[in-house]
Amino acid sequence: MDADEEDYVFYGTPIEREEEMTSRKKKAVAESSGLLRSLPPWKQEVTDEEGRRRFHGAFTGGFSAGFYNTVGSKEGWAPQSFTSSRKNRAEVKKQSIFSFLDDDEKARAGKFWMQGVVVEMWDMLVLVVMIEMPTKEMLFGSKSLAKNMEKMMGGSIPMRLAFQVGNAQRVRFWRDKWCRDETLWGGRTLLFSRAFIDWELDSVECFLHKIQAIRVHRDVDDRVIWTALRCGNFSVKSLYSILEPKDSPLFPSSSISRSCVLPKEMEGHSLGTSLQFDTFGFTAAELARKQAEKEQQQRPSAIPGPLPDEIVLLATESIGVKLLLKMGWRRGNSIKDSHTNSLYDARREARKAFLALSSDDVSTDLAVSEGVKSDLQNAIELPANDDLKSSESTPVSIFPCYDPFKHAPEFREKKRLRMSGKKELGLKNDLFAFKSRKVAPGFGIGALEELDVEDEDVYASGYDFEDNYVQEVEEPSGLVIESKQKLGSKEKGVLSGFKVASKLDYQLERFDPPVVPKNFVPHHKFRAPLDDSNKHDARCGKLFEDLSREKNQSNPLFSFLTGGNGCDYYARKLWEERQRHNDKSKQLLDVKSSPTVQKMTAESRGKILGERPLERSSRDTNSSVASADVIQLQFNLSDTFTKPASLKELSEIAKPFKEDPAKQERFELFLKEKYHGGLRSTDSGGASNMSEAARAREKLDFEAAAETIEKGLRGKESNLSTQQFMEMSATAVMEFAPGGLEQAKVTQAEELVIKKMYPKREEFQWRPSPILCKRFDIIDPFMGKPPPAPRRRSKMDSLVFTSDSVKSTTVDETVTSKLPVAQLDPQQFSKDVNAREIEVNVEVEKVERPVDLYKVFFLPSTRVPLAYEFASAYLLLFKHILMAIFSDDSDDEVENSTSNQVDDPKRKIEAANTTLNRLMAGDFLESLGKELGLEVPPDMPQSINKARTSAPKKESNDVNPGNISSLAVENKPSSTYTALKGTSVNQEAPHDKAYDQESTQEVRSQNNELMLDSPSGSKIKVTGSSENESSKIKAEKMDQEGRKAKTPTGHRQNWSSDSSSEDERSRKRSRRRRHRSDSSDTDISSDHQDRYHSRSKGRKKGSSREKSSSSRRYSKHHKRGSRDSPSRSSRHSSERERSESKREKRR
Amino acid sequence: MGIAGLPKKEANVLRGHEGAVLAARFNGDGNYCLSCGKDRTIRLWNPHRGIHIKTYKSHGREVRDVHVAPDNSKLCSCGGDRQLFYWDVSTGRVIRKFRGHDSEVNAVKFNEYASVVVSAGYDRSLRAWDCRSHSTEPIQIIDTFSDSVMSVCLTKSEIIAGSVDGTVRTFDIRIGRELSDDLGQPVNCISMSNDANCILASCLDSTLRLLDRSTGELLQEYKGHTCKSYKMDCCLTNTDAHVTSGSEDGFIFFWDLVDASVVSSFRAHASVVTSVSYHPKDDCMITASVDGTIRVWKT
Repeated sequence: MDADEEDYVFYGTPIEREEEMTSRKKKAVAESSGLLRSLPPWKQEVTDEEGRRRFHGAFTGGFSAGFYNTVGSKEGWAPQSFTSSRKNRAEVKKQSIFSFLDDDEKARAGKFWMQGVVVEMWDMLVLVVMIEMPTKEMLFGSKSLAKNMEKMMGGSIPMRLAFQVGNAQRVRFWRDKWCRDETLWGGRTLLFSRAFIDWELDSVECFLHKIQAIRVHRDVDDRVIWTALRCGNFSVKSLYSILEPKDSPLFPSSSISRSCVLPKEMEGHSLGTSLQFDTFGFTAAELARKQAEKEQQQRPSAIPGPLPDEIVLLATESIGVKLLLKMGWRRGNSIKDSHTNSLYDARREARKAFLALSSDDVSTDLAVSEGVKSDLQNAIELPANDDLKSSESTPVSIFPCYDPFKHAPEFREKKRLRMSGKKELGLKNDLFAFKSRKVAPGFGIGALEELDVEDEDVYASGYDFEDNYVQEVEEPSGLVIESKQKLGSKEKGVLSGFKVASKLDYQLERFDPPVVPKNFVPHHKFRAPLDDSNKHDARCGKLFEDLSREKNQSNPLFSFLTGGNGCDYYARKLWEERQRHNDKSKQLLDVKSSPTVQKMTAESRGKILGERPLERSSRDTNSSVASADVIQLQFNLSDTFTKPASLKELSEIAKPFKEDPAKQERFELFLKEKYHGGLRSTDSGGASNMSEAARAREKLDFEAAAETIEKGLRGKESNLSTQQFMEMSATAVMEFAPGGLEQAKVTQAEELVIKKMYPKREEFQWRPSPILCKRFDIIDPFMGKPPPAPRRRSKMDSLVFTSDSVKSTTVDETVTSKLPVAQLDPQQFSKDVNAREIEVNVEVEKVERPVDLYKVFFLPSTRVPLAYEFASAYLLLFKHILMAIFSDDSDDEVENSTSNQVDDPKRKIEAANTTLNRLMAGDFLESLGKELGLEVPPDMPQSINKARTSAPKKESNDVNPGNISSLAVENKPSSTYTALKGTSVNQEAPHDKAYDQESTQEVRSQNNELMLDSPSGSKIKVTGSSENESSKIKAEKMDQEGRKAKTPTGHRQNWSSDSSSEDERSRKRSRRRRHRSDSSDTDISSDHQDRYHSRSKGRKKGSSREKSSSSRRYSKHHKRGSRDSPSRSSRHSSERERSESKREKRR
Repeated sequence: MGIAGLPKKEANVLRGHEGAVLAARFNGDGNYCLSCGKDRTIRLWNPHRGIHIKTYKSHGREVRDVHVAPDNSKLCSCGGDRQLFYWDVSTGRVIRKFRGHDSEVNAVKFNEYASVVVSAGYDRSLRAWDCRSHSTEPIQIIDTFSDSVMSVCLTKSEIIAGSVDGTVRTFDIRIGRELSDDLGQPVNCISMSNDANCILASCLDSTLRLLDRSTGELLQEYKGHTCKSYKMDCCLTNTDAHVTSGSEDGFIFFWDLVDASVVSSFRAHASVVTSVSYHPKDDCMITASVDGTIRVWKT
């Protein structure tokens, strides 16, 4: 390896080897912990955290600690020069604009090094030097000069003075001692302390040019001229004209943002910023604004109208101004760039006179030319701090249309006159550059009162900045803009003395912030339950969705619920979901025309009357979803529920394996997997205890059964499929009844199929982590979208199964009840036992996977109250009932645990509904028993009532007792349900709500009841009773359901030998059945209404209901040829009475 | 390639492992091979010359799988000590250790760029580890398996793993989907065909199953060998013409890919053939066995 290593060239510091480090560390740790402790102190060694020895004996190097065996630190030993903070304190560095120039610029600015002293000679300064000053010996630095000038002129007087060189008698430039008693002139040549460096030469040349450009006119004395006037003579009037606008109290010149119009005198020398320098953020602002507009167009925002930043405009200065301020610029000062310009001017002029200088005697030969004047002007201008000129040249205009004369119209005229008098109208065409082209649009903003208004205008109107600028410019100059159309109109206004500002046609109206309605809720609510439900939520219904939304409002993962991220995906999922179960939904719809729908829509009425409803897309979706829900329900239930329960549940839709509940359950699982790939079944095999072959065979079975079911659904477009299915199943039942034996035969044949069963492909969503994608060099398929919400755990489970405490009591009952069953049907019994076991298991499991039931329950909620939906809801309810039967106990417990929570009447109602459902179960069982052709003992001892053997009863023959008992039992739970306000109830609530939607009227009535009762505290009873009634109604319904459900049990066999003729038959039958169901629906609805109108009439109603139900039953029996109808009605009534009595008792 | 082209002649025997050799793998170009075994070492060989080149020691327990990066610069290995080792091939030092598996790690693979190591563990999870960062935390844990994950294969965009729960799951990173092909039998080993269209899954019912990756269809089954309790490898030949696997009785089986007939089978080892690896280009194969030898087979 060493040889190998030699071949390599290593760069950088090697990564410390883990082993080495660890070994040392290990040692350290070991020693510190175990070893050393045992050692006597004098044998112990001090080591650092790396395990190195730190303190050695005197003969082994002494100690090594701290910084090289000192107690200091590395920093402590670094030599440092002491600096007192006293002197340095608060030293503010004076900055000039030169500190921000680089060398080149400085060189150009004429910075000379003379005698080791820096004399900054601006080219204009050179001229300034020549000014005759009261104090001749004054040093010329820009600042001192300025100060002196100020002093001389009385401070605020504008610098309109210039020095005109005449015979140069008073110019002592060359004789003045600049530094150390030396003058610049050394006899015949200029004195320079040293040779110039290359980069200085240019400057020197400039300097010389400047000087030489000055001509001496011997006949004219040197004099100070007043630059405000051409003649150079001072006049008070001109001074006044200068001062006027500025001194007006209305114009605090220091704070006003100035339009960049410069007085004529200033032109060319004061530099505003031009647009092309984006220093002051105009372009950026513009861009930002455009961007904002674009954005707004793209995304419709909740707040219509302009963007917030358009509404609210900061009145602070632009960053450019801030920067300038930081750099030392003060308001009112102009930014000068004069050196370059003047330099070039000077060059041009000086070139002519250059020879003269060199040849002439310097002292006398300083020629003064007329051209100097401008230069002088320059020089003067620079220092102007607070005077008018400079302030006027302030680089300002955020709001270009500012009218300085707005409040002082009388000055406007004056100014205009002044301007015109100067006849500086040559600029007509060139607005920006008056003479020198240097005048640029202003920048920054002033803190003016009107500022905000006009600011808004600038941005909101979309006015071109230039336009604004033009207008503003034109205004002071008065005459300028004939050439510009836009300006023309404005100009008139100005001329006539109108207030310009008021006439601005582009003035923007102010947008008040939108008024938020009081009832506005800051998150979106979905109008229709269907519109947006997530695939997950889609199944669970709108209420659930709402619930989850509320719950997860703060959770970004659920933002899709509120239209946030993933909303689209969510919608799509929903759509998929619907599509998937479209056909099924239809079927369901037909089977059950919503009987209990209280709200009589045209559709529902038509349904009841047997009219064929027009197909509407919306309805389709509804139905589909509902059906999907149904299926989902089954699956979910199967997950968490006991076998018998699942068996019952499925019986409605497809119970091909009725004989074997376990198998049925597996079948459901299978279905679930098939239709809802995303939901993974917990145990993959379904039956882990089965042999491989058996499992495979079963799978085949399932596949086939599923196929038939699907077929049935599909064929059912004409709403007949259910019937067909039933028929098929019925026939199948015959074959399949002796299930066990049959199965044995079949096994061999099916063995072959195993291979076909496997491999079985499933597809799930899977989220690679973003970094994994990155490492695989793959774009994250989810693009960083938040992962889907973790599979939600429904609290339904807990609701249903929390009942451990109660269970103990109930188990006994169940056992007793089951015993008779067992006697009748040992097989059944075993199943029951199984079921119970499972139940227990489920209870245990509930904590882990509460999901599905929850979903199931809320499925219907999403859907609109349609007849078929109702049917589906029934299916759900039925399942629910089954669950309830198993979990009555749980309810009680739940109640206990959650009773302290507050519930609203709705919740209670929903709870009541659930109880109703449970009650229905009883009837259903009854009907099942009938269907099976078993004899039902007319009278069952009351003692059995308590029994909760829903599953066994269903299967077994003693339907009647089962029914009764279940009903009786149900009553209790229902009441408890109402009491439940805890989480469990809440979860149930959505479901019930949905249910309510379907039959709003009913709900309302229930509500009333609940409300009435709640104050008294006896609400539970009341609700329970109401539920009882309704439940009965439903139970009747359930009879039908039960029959329907029953049929599928046989159905499974059918698929193998399914014949078209049978299909037809079944279709017919389904039609018939539908009819029947319709009638039943009407019954129920009427019942409901009755009940609502007067509860006291309950008995009567009950009887009527009985009648109706019995009649229905009769008809059914007719067709089915079953016998137990007469006894039934009576039983019904008794049952009802019992429930009523119970209610009374509770009260 | 006919039957004659099958490597049936023993070219070299690589001895050195003390104890069972659990895996033997060719490197990317087939010039070297790596083996690992119960003696807690990884060994680098030149199988063609029969030379033992280097031994990598650091594992605390048996080393169950090893894989070398495509550029031959790095190794990754895993084993009974529940961690992955990320080795520098030339220095033989451990660059990084990835801890996190809750139990033994059965298989490990580099991805195409050697930027990620994916490991399959007895803890029913697949874990992806980042080699680029210094983080020793897995960047992804896939725990949809319901039983021990025995084997893992990587493509450019997919992670494929076989598990004792009978599934071969394909995790497609591009589209974020997980495809689960339930074979109904515990999957012992999966290996991908060279055209990447099929997956050969060795099931514990002594059957090799060839799956079409796109459809999940079962294309063929290969039987005849014994594979019931050991973790054993299977692979396709470099031309995808044959399927090969070891057997628990020390035999090596060759099947015709298409008609699933046993083309050849011969006794190669005294004991269970734990691993087979086929040369990526030549007709050369190495097999490893519990008997502690690695044998190189050539035509």
